[in-house]
Amino acid sequence: MLKQYSRFRGSLIPGLLVSVFLLILAFAIFFTLFDATGANKSTFLTLSPRVIGLLKFTIFQATLSTILSIIIGIILAWSLAHQSRFFARSLLIALFSSSLVLPTIIVVFGLITILGRNGWLNHLSLYLFNHTFEGFLYGLSGILIAHVYLNASYAARALLHSFEAIPKQRYKLAKSLGFSVFKRFILIEWPAIKQSVLSIASVVFLLTFTSFAIVLILGGNPSYNTLEVAIYEAVKLDFDISLALELAFLQLGISVILVFFSSNLKTNISNVKMQSLFIPWAEPLFVRFLQITIIFVSCVFFILPLIAIVFDGINADFIRILKSTIFIKSFSTSVIIASISSIITVVFTLFLSNARRNFALKSRISQSKVGKIIEFMISFSGSLYLAIPSLVLGLGFFLLSQKFIAPHLFWASFALLSANVLMSLPFSISVIYPSMLKTATRYDKLCFSLNISGFKRWIYCEWPFLKESIGYAIALSFCLSLGDLGIISLFGNQDFSTLPWYLYGLMGSYQNNDAAGVALILLGLTLSVFIFVPKIFAKENFVKG
Amino acid sequence: MLKVNNIKYKYKNENKENIYNFSLEAKCAEVVGILGASGNGKSTLLDLISGFLSSISGDITYNDQDITDLAPEKRPITILFQNYNLFEHLNVEKNILLGIESKNKQEDIKKTYKILSEIGLKGYEKKIASSLSGGEQQRVALARALLRNKPILLLDEPFTGLDFDTREHMLHLVKTITKTKQICTIMVTHEPNDCKKIANKIYEVKNGKLTLL
Repeated sequence: MLKQYSRFRGSLIPGLLVSVFLLILAFAIFFTLFDATGANKSTFLTLSPRVIGLLKFTIFQATLSTILSIIIGIILAWSLAHQSRFFARSLLIALFSSSLVLPTIIVVFGLITILGRNGWLNHLSLYLFNHTFEGFLYGLSGILIAHVYLNASYAARALLHSFEAIPKQRYKLAKSLGFSVFKRFILIEWPAIKQSVLSIASVVFLLTFTSFAIVLILGGNPSYNTLEVAIYEAVKLDFDISLALELAFLQLGISVILVFFSSNLKTNISNVKMQSLFIPWAEPLFVRFLQITIIFVSCVFFILPLIAIVFDGINADFIRILKSTIFIKSFSTSVIIASISSIITVVFTLFLSNARRNFALKSRISQSKVGKIIEFMISFSGSLYLAIPSLVLGLGFFLLSQKFIAPHLFWASFALLSANVLMSLPFSISVIYPSMLKTATRYDKLCFSLNISGFKRWIYCEWPFLKESIGYAIALSFCLSLGDLGIISLFGNQDFSTLPWYLYGLMGSYQNNDAAGVALILLGLTLSVFIFVPKIFAKENFVKG
Repeated sequence: MLKVNNIKYKYKNENKENIYNFSLEAKCAEVVGILGASGNGKSTLLDLISGFLSSISGDITYNDQDITDLAPEKRPITILFQNYNLFEHLNVEKNILLGIESKNKQEDIKKTYKILSEIGLKGYEKKIASSLSGGEQQRVALARALLRNKPILLLDEPFTGLDFDTREHMLHLVKTITKTKQICTIMVTHEPNDCKKIANKIYEVKNGKLTLL
């Protein structure tokens, strides 16, 4: 057995080192949080009525958001799967894919522009019916709308994959047996998507349970606070670290349970291309009308806030914005942190995946108890940070910064960089690991028999097949890092700011014109990176000379 | 001579534990055919000989030297798989050169051109592997196997799916090469006719054991 481990040490050691580092860091953060509870440890789990209230609302809004997102996601994915040929379909699907990386503050800004007190809808309603919607966007309704905006599009994109994976023969069978559309859905489509629905629902619940920016801005008043926002307020506004810790542990405990049930992220965000479902007979006219209407209404709902950002943004005074020192600082901090963190994320992902695949293939390290433990450790360390909400992670770094005194710039940069890497890692792994495993399954024997290893193997065998996934993972990590408003809310100040934090400040001080300009820049930057970076990596593979 | 002595391999299938136990001998300039239905362990035998799988007991020797514990890349073996023999994004020349431990690159290129000409693929040097037909890809892989100068050639159903003429041509090529290069060739197949045409002796795999026919 040792011989096998020694044979693959080149891929095992870097992955194991990264894995151990991640576990030590998680332990250090957990220990710091636990240590900070001080003398309160015994009374720690006695939940006060306020905490129970926060917990109830957090679960309530997450449950409602999940149910709505999943229902809309299924209906939209079903419509898109059956309407496989219409103008700009692929653009619409690409837009849904980007919902995962759109900075939440951008979405909130777009929704406020459309549905806010001074929004387009209110103006139209006043003009046509002399009726105002006032502040319906602030409170539970606003939270639900924003969550549905982000998560229904994500669910639709992921479920479309499941719909399109249904073999055409089953549709032929349904047609030959004369199934109605409803019967076809119940007997053919639902069984095929059921598993994905459960998995996606648990992911959406996790995302909405730990949602921060949306609740912070649209929550309106303390009765609509979630655990995540309450942690922020306890640290930044009330300076009540004890309460923050209590909330953090509660949040952490529930997130761990949720992550346990939502382990299947792989199919949901992978960049694997798929065949669109094309059934060579038309749907009944009424059904077609229904599907087209659903797609049209969804387009309006999902695209309008982005159009609003563009329309509002182009009127901004860009010269003034671009000359502003705070903007330049925020922009460069955002880009530098996102660039470095996306590179580190991908390097960590490659090390972890390369080590992990040694245990997944029969031709490498044969299965043993020790092997299973090591494989679990590597896999666990990579997905562990899904279970640690950003504000809890931020609180850990915040307490560390209080313990080990260093310049604010150091701690803020370190916390932001580390948190972005740790939080992007599970997503990056779910993109890269399947590709790495596929390449090894296909070419391992050939490489071993031809003695192609190390750098030579990477150049000729790994890179050509991984570069597309690597490009996608870099773009994904960059955008996730760019849009984060969680950690920066604990570390941000006049001297240290990022674009989302700067935008939040502008919105808070009602500098709407500048906010619109910054929102447009942030949106443009996010979409450009998300669209063009994977394209750069996806160039032709062929080596002719 | 290649000797496989009581090589045992344990595997689980439908929660049942099965054991393979293989023994065989292959002399130089000899083609040994291994016949058997799918799932009987033909490919497992080749994986054990080539080192992709580890046995629980027994040994494999080549010219009385124990090679049982050697890693696949260190064994005196070259293999032709049923598929994925070539890196599809690379051209033919690069695919062949990748398999050679180079001392003189110019010399290797010359040899590559020569061998391609010998197997009827002159002018294919710069073609991308994915643009070749199945038969052409297998011939390129065979050309590479020849240039690698390893004394044992393992063929894991490499001609499955090829048309009749190409298949006949490839079988003839294998027979000729085995004789002229004095190598041991072991060919796994489920086609008795292929074995009859070129094999000096034929084994059948049944219930995890080899029987000489």
